[in-house]
Amino acid sequence: MVLDDIVGQDEIVARLKSYVKTGNLPHLLFTGSAGIGKTTSAVALAREFFGDTWQVNFRELNASDERGIDVVRTQIKQFARTAPLGGAEFKILFLDEADALTSDAQAALRRTMENYARNCRFILSCNYSSKIIDPIQSRCAIYRFRPLDRAAIASELARIAENEGLTITTEAIDAIVYISLGDMRKAINAIQGAAIISPAITEEMIYEITSTARPEEIDELLATALNGEYDGAESMVNDLLFSRGIAPTELINQLYRAVIRRDFDRQLKVAIISHIGETDFRLSEGAAAEIQVEALIANIVLTALRFRDRAGEK
Amino acid sequence: MDWASKYRPQHLKEIVGNGPAIRRIAEWARDWKAGTKPLLLYGKPGIGKTTAAYALANDMDWEVIELNASDQRTRAIIERIAGTSSTTASLTGASRKLIIFDEADNLHGNADRGGAKAIVETIKASRQPILLIANEIYGMDAALRYLCEPVQFKALPARSIAPHLRYICSAEGIDCSADAISSVAERAGGDMRSAVTMLNAAAEGEDHLDAEDVHTAQKDERTTIFQLISAIYRGEEDEALMRRAWEVDEEPDTIGQWIEESVGTLKDPGIRGEAFSALAEADRFIGRTYRRQYYTLWKYATALMVTGSAGAIVKKPASPGRIMPPGRWKKMGAGRKQKLIRRSVLRKVSNAYHIPEQALMEDFLTSVTIMVEKNPEHFARELGLEQEELEFFTGDKKTAAAVVKEIAKERKEEEKGYTKEKVKKETRETEKSPQQQVNDPAPVTSSPGEERDDPVQEPDHAQKTLFDGF
Repeated sequence: MVLDDIVGQDEIVARLKSYVKTGNLPHLLFTGSAGIGKTTSAVALAREFFGDTWQVNFRELNASDERGIDVVRTQIKQFARTAPLGGAEFKILFLDEADALTSDAQAALRRTMENYARNCRFILSCNYSSKIIDPIQSRCAIYRFRPLDRAAIASELARIAENEGLTITTEAIDAIVYISLGDMRKAINAIQGAAIISPAITEEMIYEITSTARPEEIDELLATALNGEYDGAESMVNDLLFSRGIAPTELINQLYRAVIRRDFDRQLKVAIISHIGETDFRLSEGAAAEIQVEALIANIVLTALRFRDRAGEK
Repeated sequence: MDWASKYRPQHLKEIVGNGPAIRRIAEWARDWKAGTKPLLLYGKPGIGKTTAAYALANDMDWEVIELNASDQRTRAIIERIAGTSSTTASLTGASRKLIIFDEADNLHGNADRGGAKAIVETIKASRQPILLIANEIYGMDAALRYLCEPVQFKALPARSIAPHLRYICSAEGIDCSADAISSVAERAGGDMRSAVTMLNAAAEGEDHLDAEDVHTAQKDERTTIFQLISAIYRGEEDEALMRRAWEVDEEPDTIGQWIEESVGTLKDPGIRGEAFSALAEADRFIGRTYRRQYYTLWKYATALMVTGSAGAIVKKPASPGRIMPPGRWKKMGAGRKQKLIRRSVLRKVSNAYHIPEQALMEDFLTSVTIMVEKNPEHFARELGLEQEELEFFTGDKKTAAAVVKEIAKERKEEEKGYTKEKVKKETRETEKSPQQQVNDPAPVTSSPGEERDDPVQEPDHAQKTLFDGF
């Protein structure tokens, strides 16, 4: 993986490449949600910076490693103050999920970043930059990675398809874009899963392999429920859950997305979002999925009817 | 070499801004003699505190010994490093050694056990100048704070940052547009280091820089929360609102507090009620998210608060007025001060009467309060209460102030007469009083509540975004 292979973060990649060109690097802070290229960029940057010696001069610490103040004072400091190898000018320490560092540990990091900057540059990654203490933000160039758009995911899928000898339809790409929500990792998992079944990838396969309903089906389900038709909505849900084998949590998630997207009375919308969230919570606590999802549909129908009555009275 | 280090000022006179603080430091060093109070440099990150300390050492030709949070700072370690160097002469022939305790507000509870006390002792025994550096003056151990003379560093206005950036650009041979410079200077939020790092990040490998090239997102969260709230008031589509809420890069609880602050100013009670009810609903999900560590629920919280408040507001479109940071942040600061006072009172009473603090609070606080109310002067003297601590019992600011003032006056007179009379009891009292002050954890002479205001009155930059709401 090299920097040029990273898609959808063109401005950031251009800046990172110019660091490689000049051989100079400030401390960096990468922020953004999962699966949009933070770790990949850090590793690719290190490879281009160091070439063959990248593995000795680059170290990654992620959340599975210990994150207390002692690690910062011992391991990190140790790595930062020893000289780089193989003629490199400095080493790179990549702290993945730096927002998981306690604030004490972050405080212990700040002077290390400065005092050993000659030997070692830091790249921190996090989901929320607000969880990184100000003094550290002040020492880093902050790059905000955006969720990948359709074009970025489509181009990566096309590249994968070409390399692996797959064919993929435009509808299938749309389906992957819908499922992945800008997360490249999810997108690649989807195409890989489908490729195991057949090299000719279609929309149906994608929905099937990811146990996802088509967005249109969900829209229809929502419309039916909002229209107060409990019987119709219930049979649709049963079909999705039992015949199609869609996971209840996935169904809820899709329903939520459909509600946000759809334009209807906001007060009703708030009530329905609350019902959906409640169901999600109950499922996470171990409630029986089928009953909860059916109850959710019933609740949506009831709330919609009540709203209609109230509007009628007015 | 990164620019923040490369262009770090080497002499006090090169430091941008904070003139009064720099002058005070220079005077302090010039007049320093054994027993001079150490200085405590405090203020936001990136505005020159550590730089000033090193520049001072450079100007005075003093050797530097620094202990910061990246070192373990237990009692033993501090005594070994700072303790010995503070009482012995320098080896390298430098006239003096400057001991710097950086991040003095970050002594880590367990790992740095006894650290604050050791620093206090180092300061008292030191024959070398000492500087302490902290972000949050009230985050520090109170005993430590009282031993120092505080010197505040203020965030730098953009107009002071810009010339320095221009200088760096010309030194690096970069042709940088005025827009790019002012954009970086504005966005740094008063933080010089952040500005230089941002410039460095954008300009590395370029010879020309325009405003569009300044991509890095440094410190712009505030701006987006203002945009989010304005968008809610405009009644933007829910999907767009959700995207904005995501881009704000704050957690839902924080966003909720901003919205709460804003909808609290809505005139129509019905609409205000509807918005609050959505916020309350959202809050349930935030609570569940943290309790169960099930972060999937976060999105419901965000969706409920933004669509709910937008839905309520559009019924009777209003302007968001001036968008303000959550008022509760300020109140929490004040609450924290009250807590500190209560703790210090409990400790004093507990020490004097040998009753555990817990028992005091649960069983005896009322009776102690009645006794103190009956005879405030006696107890103020006996317990060594400060004005605010006495007020804690009596609830009467005026009397408390008068009593404490009277006692202080008497003490001064006693000190004068002390050499002649040598009354044992008085000796004990006068000796005890400075000691007590040192061990007293409560910020009695100053008010941490005000310090908490900082995010509100954040200088130029934040103020600017505050007005964006108009």
